[in-house]
Amino acid sequence: MSRLQAEHLYKVFGRRPEDAVRRLEAGAGREELRAEGTTAAVIDASIEVDEGQIFVVMGLSGSGKSTLLRTLNGLLEPTSGTVRFDGQDLTSLSDKELRKVRSEKISMVFQHFALFPHRSVLENAAYGLEVQGVPRAERTARATEALELTGLKGWEKSWPDELSGGMQQRVGLARALATNADLLLMDESFSALDPLIRRDMQDQLLELQKSLKKTIVFITHDLNEAMRLGDRIAVMRDGRIVQIGSAEDILVTPANDYVASFTQDVDRTRVLTAGAIMTEVGTVLGATAPDGTKLTTAAEFRAAAPAVVGAGTPLVELFTPCAAGSVPVAVTDEQGSLVGAVTAERLLSVLGEAAEQSPAPAGPVPAEADGTAAAEQTPAKATSVEKTAAHTSGDTDTDHDPEDKVSAGA
Amino acid sequence: MPRIPIGSWADSLVEWLRDHAEWLFHFVTTVLGGFYDGILAVLSGPEPLLLTGIFAVIAWWLRGLPAAVLTFIGFALIDSIEQWHQTMQSLSLVLVACIITVAVAVPLGVWAARNRAVSGAVRPVLDLMQTMPAMVYLIPGILFFGLGAVPGIVSTIVFSMPPAVRMTELGIRQVDGELVEAADAFGTHPRRTLFRVQLPLALPTIMAGINQVIMLALSMVVIAGMVGGAGLGGTVYLSLSSVDVKLGAEGGLAVVILAVYLDRMTSALNQRVSPLGRRALAKAQAALGGLKFLQWKPATSLATVAVVVLALVAGGMSVLGKDKGSGAAGTDGNGRPISLGYVNWDEGKATTFLWKEILEQRGYKPRAEALDAGPLFTGQARGDIDVQTNAWLPTTHAEYWKKYKDKLEDLGAWYDKTSLEIAVPSYMKGIKTLDDLKGKGGTFGGKIVGIEPGAGEMKLLKDKVLKDYGLGGEYKVMESSTSSMLTELDRSIHDKKPIAVTLWSPHWAYDKYKLTKLKDPKGSFGSGDSLHMLGRKGFSKDEPQVANWMKNFHLDEKQLTSLESEVKNAGTGHEQDGVRAWLKQHPGLVNKLAPSAKADYAKGKDAGKTPTLGYPAWDEGIATTYLWKNILEKRGYRPKLQNLDVGPMWTGLSTGQIDVETDAWLPVAQKQYWDKYKKDLVDVGAWYDKTSLEIAVPSYVKGVKTLDDLRKHKDTFGGKIIGIEPGTGEMKRLKSVVSPAYGLDGFDVTEAGTSAMLTELERAYAKKEPIAVVLWSPHWAYSKYHLTKLKDPQGTWGANNQIKTIGNKSFPKKFPEFNGWLKNWKMSAAELGSLEKEIQAAGKGNENKGVEKWIDAHPGIVDKMAPVK
Repeated sequence: MSRLQAEHLYKVFGRRPEDAVRRLEAGAGREELRAEGTTAAVIDASIEVDEGQIFVVMGLSGSGKSTLLRTLNGLLEPTSGTVRFDGQDLTSLSDKELRKVRSEKISMVFQHFALFPHRSVLENAAYGLEVQGVPRAERTARATEALELTGLKGWEKSWPDELSGGMQQRVGLARALATNADLLLMDESFSALDPLIRRDMQDQLLELQKSLKKTIVFITHDLNEAMRLGDRIAVMRDGRIVQIGSAEDILVTPANDYVASFTQDVDRTRVLTAGAIMTEVGTVLGATAPDGTKLTTAAEFRAAAPAVVGAGTPLVELFTPCAAGSVPVAVTDEQGSLVGAVTAERLLSVLGEAAEQSPAPAGPVPAEADGTAAAEQTPAKATSVEKTAAHTSGDTDTDHDPEDKVSAGA
Repeated sequence: MPRIPIGSWADSLVEWLRDHAEWLFHFVTTVLGGFYDGILAVLSGPEPLLLTGIFAVIAWWLRGLPAAVLTFIGFALIDSIEQWHQTMQSLSLVLVACIITVAVAVPLGVWAARNRAVSGAVRPVLDLMQTMPAMVYLIPGILFFGLGAVPGIVSTIVFSMPPAVRMTELGIRQVDGELVEAADAFGTHPRRTLFRVQLPLALPTIMAGINQVIMLALSMVVIAGMVGGAGLGGTVYLSLSSVDVKLGAEGGLAVVILAVYLDRMTSALNQRVSPLGRRALAKAQAALGGLKFLQWKPATSLATVAVVVLALVAGGMSVLGKDKGSGAAGTDGNGRPISLGYVNWDEGKATTFLWKEILEQRGYKPRAEALDAGPLFTGQARGDIDVQTNAWLPTTHAEYWKKYKDKLEDLGAWYDKTSLEIAVPSYMKGIKTLDDLKGKGGTFGGKIVGIEPGAGEMKLLKDKVLKDYGLGGEYKVMESSTSSMLTELDRSIHDKKPIAVTLWSPHWAYDKYKLTKLKDPKGSFGSGDSLHMLGRKGFSKDEPQVANWMKNFHLDEKQLTSLESEVKNAGTGHEQDGVRAWLKQHPGLVNKLAPSAKADYAKGKDAGKTPTLGYPAWDEGIATTYLWKNILEKRGYRPKLQNLDVGPMWTGLSTGQIDVETDAWLPVAQKQYWDKYKKDLVDVGAWYDKTSLEIAVPSYVKGVKTLDDLRKHKDTFGGKIIGIEPGTGEMKRLKSVVSPAYGLDGFDVTEAGTSAMLTELERAYAKKEPIAVVLWSPHWAYSKYHLTKLKDPQGTWGANNQIKTIGNKSFPKKFPEFNGWLKNWKMSAAELGSLEKEIQAAGKGNENKGVEKWIDAHPGIVDKMAPVK
């Protein structure tokens, strides 16, 4: 169920913005408008975010991602388009109503922390509550709770300038969480932190999300971060969204060269999962176990495998088992049933691919299952694979198959 | 380029404003003037050292102990060099200007920070305000607001507003945009963002702006001094115009002390006001080690308590202490104010202070102000100044006279031995006349050092004198100012260099240096000016007597120069002492210069003293005390009166709080008080002994002459005797002794009060009804009505009291002259009765009028009661 919908958002700076929108819709280019002194920062952006999902918007500087974020809570008024949260159209609200929504339903975390230097850590964390008009005692209690959540217990009386960067951002996060807002907008929140702290913060966010299940829109220019955090990722370029999909979608089936070059340096072993590259069990039956026995049944294979991993396991964890011997690694689904296997060759070949992906050989499917094989099995192709986490099949426009081999199943 | 008449436009604008916006200027003058007066009253109330203590506490609060000590020393020094009052005036001016400036500048700065259009519009206006020379504001300033503190305040506001606005705008803009965005993102209303985020963070910059305002305001004090704003600016200006280095140094030092104090305090204020500053302070305080007490600053609450305590002490002292006796009753002036203005030339200063003294003696409240010639004439034309004593006409001040003569009155010339000339130092040989200057142009560097370009002498010199003597080619007349010319003269004489200056007589320069007046055989300089007294238009109508005195005023050369000399010797700030010294050498001159019927009273030996007379609310007490007040004032004393009940009165006499009272009834009626306190008191003497207690009846009641007759005619009186307060000695005596003795028990004695009895008497007397009242003598009733005291052959009423004057035991030593007068003073019953009657007739609050009437009716009584040799 999507909680946040943004449809056909435009943001144009300069003279006659509405005019510019019409021209853009009609197909005018961004550079054309730039020459006239009009800047189209966001062009026809539409996104949907589900409850409890982290939606990452990724792009280089100037791609319009921060502008897009600010149109969501009205800090910048969209030139055209609508934003709906929980069914309420935010773009049509009066200033007063919008402030109310910002106070109660939306929180923001900033790149450079934006802590008020003339207030203590506790007062900063309690700021959102103060705006809401919550009485002091309750404010203090809830802010203290939020600080504890982000790991800053005991620092309430300190001042922002006494804290390190990472700690300051925790305060920023606590401030955003204290109001119990459901929608969190995070503007490159970890970009100003050093790599180790950054990792910690990402971990913490993911940890918190498990229990809090907030709807989060996260802006970043760091691909690894996007891959780590994003349930769904939108890639922006020059004001437009060029692709929306899961991390693997972006990685394995980039929409165009731009996206592909973006993802070039990503550490695939941490993004791709066993389930994405596995081959059917049948293809590996017939292998010989180290002790000489031939593996003929799925169960035998499973017993002889050097490791049995879940489909969501990142590839990086498969190296050691794959290198152990000639028996492939067994892959199971959430329920524990065997669904596939990963050979060392397969592993190597996938990693050796550049932006292209090669189809995995589709072989006959052994009749282990009872006719529901087609439904159970994931087609042995690295397209439209889905993470096992909660995910809708709302794939949109920019998803397409460069290579058209679809295993039709039986 | 064709001549664009911008100056004329500006002039027309000023004129138009004066005609149409008078109400606005009047409003501004009233508001600013009132504000200034209020603050000044608060600052000048307390004793200087007490206020210094308060300043020191503030310094301690803001900057610690060393600063407090230095503050105390600094301000005590200001008091020592006699610049305290001026410093308070300047401080008041600075405070008023700053408060108004900040109140306008901060909101304006905030607005400019949020709105580009406003920022752009405001910038050029601020530039204009900041760069236009402040002197230029002064001319219209005086025209719009008159002389005094207000034009100075307005100029200061205009000059110091730009930095405050700019700093505020800067401070707000400099607040991190991300913080404002964060506040916005959490739903904060823009106004709350301003107050909760932007202002607190911009505060250090804004405080820096305020600090600037104060410093600029102080730099304007001199300008304020030139237009009657007095204060330290007045001191500096005065020193400038009289080339008085001593005074200049002291005035300048006071300015420095004040400036440093205000600068340090306002910059430290940031620590107490802005949240970031407070944090820094808390951190610093927490981190103190060793010499902690030096850096320790008391908490705001503690400092506030200290300041409040000091302020209460100061306030209490001023209530108890500074009671100035009136001294104006029965005088010509009756306390009316008169303002005298003078340019700081010797004869002007001397004659102004002479007239100040004379007017004070005649009971006026004169004020003397030193001003530049321009503001003086303008101020007089506006009506802010009543009189100036030293207008040089027809030449020197011709321009001013021409401009303002419709608004001025010429009160006549008092001196005419003036001359205008060129003078050279006597060491220049062979130069004795104006002709001698010819051919010597080279020696003098081709110039004659002149004074203000607008002075009549300068015009005369250029138009006539140089031409007549053919000096135009060789000599150029340098325009400067009187003080510059005098400084130049001093320098040249010091270095024994040649110099020719424009000068005039009389002038102190002729006393100080050996100069030669160059003879003017052709008479080109004219016959010299006369010195005129000028009044503002309408002055003769408002103060005909003073105007008359001034019209008849003359001094000869010897008198003038000796007066100038005495004034100069007395020194700045003590001119009036010099005048008094001079008047001592010229006895009777004041009476000659300002003859007055009322003032034909010689001053007593102890004139100026302030005895405190106590009196009970009894008729004879009121009457005699007001009589003595009047007489003492005529003799130049400044008596104070205190109305008290009998008990507190005697106690006050014993402690010395009261010096003397004239209404003690002894030896009987007030015996107990005398017995209690007599070791602290002195019996000055009885002045009345015809007191008695009696029952009285109107004289129209025939055949009732004695108390026995009363008994016999009981029915005539309806069996009633109208009595007074039941607890009084008289009523008790009536009941216990008199009544039984004469068999009056059958009478119904009404017990009410004295006023009820008198009212009843009045009523019955008007209707010619018979009535018997309890009464006593002396009493005004005996003057008002024809009454018969019922004889008391048996003497039942007891021994009579005398009315005595009793004083505190120190009274004869403190007031020997007054003591002597009281000792010899006696009054008859008729005198007392008529005095009481007049005072009654005049009514409460107008006792003195009654006294005056009585004195007029008793010629020579003053000399009889208070003789002086």
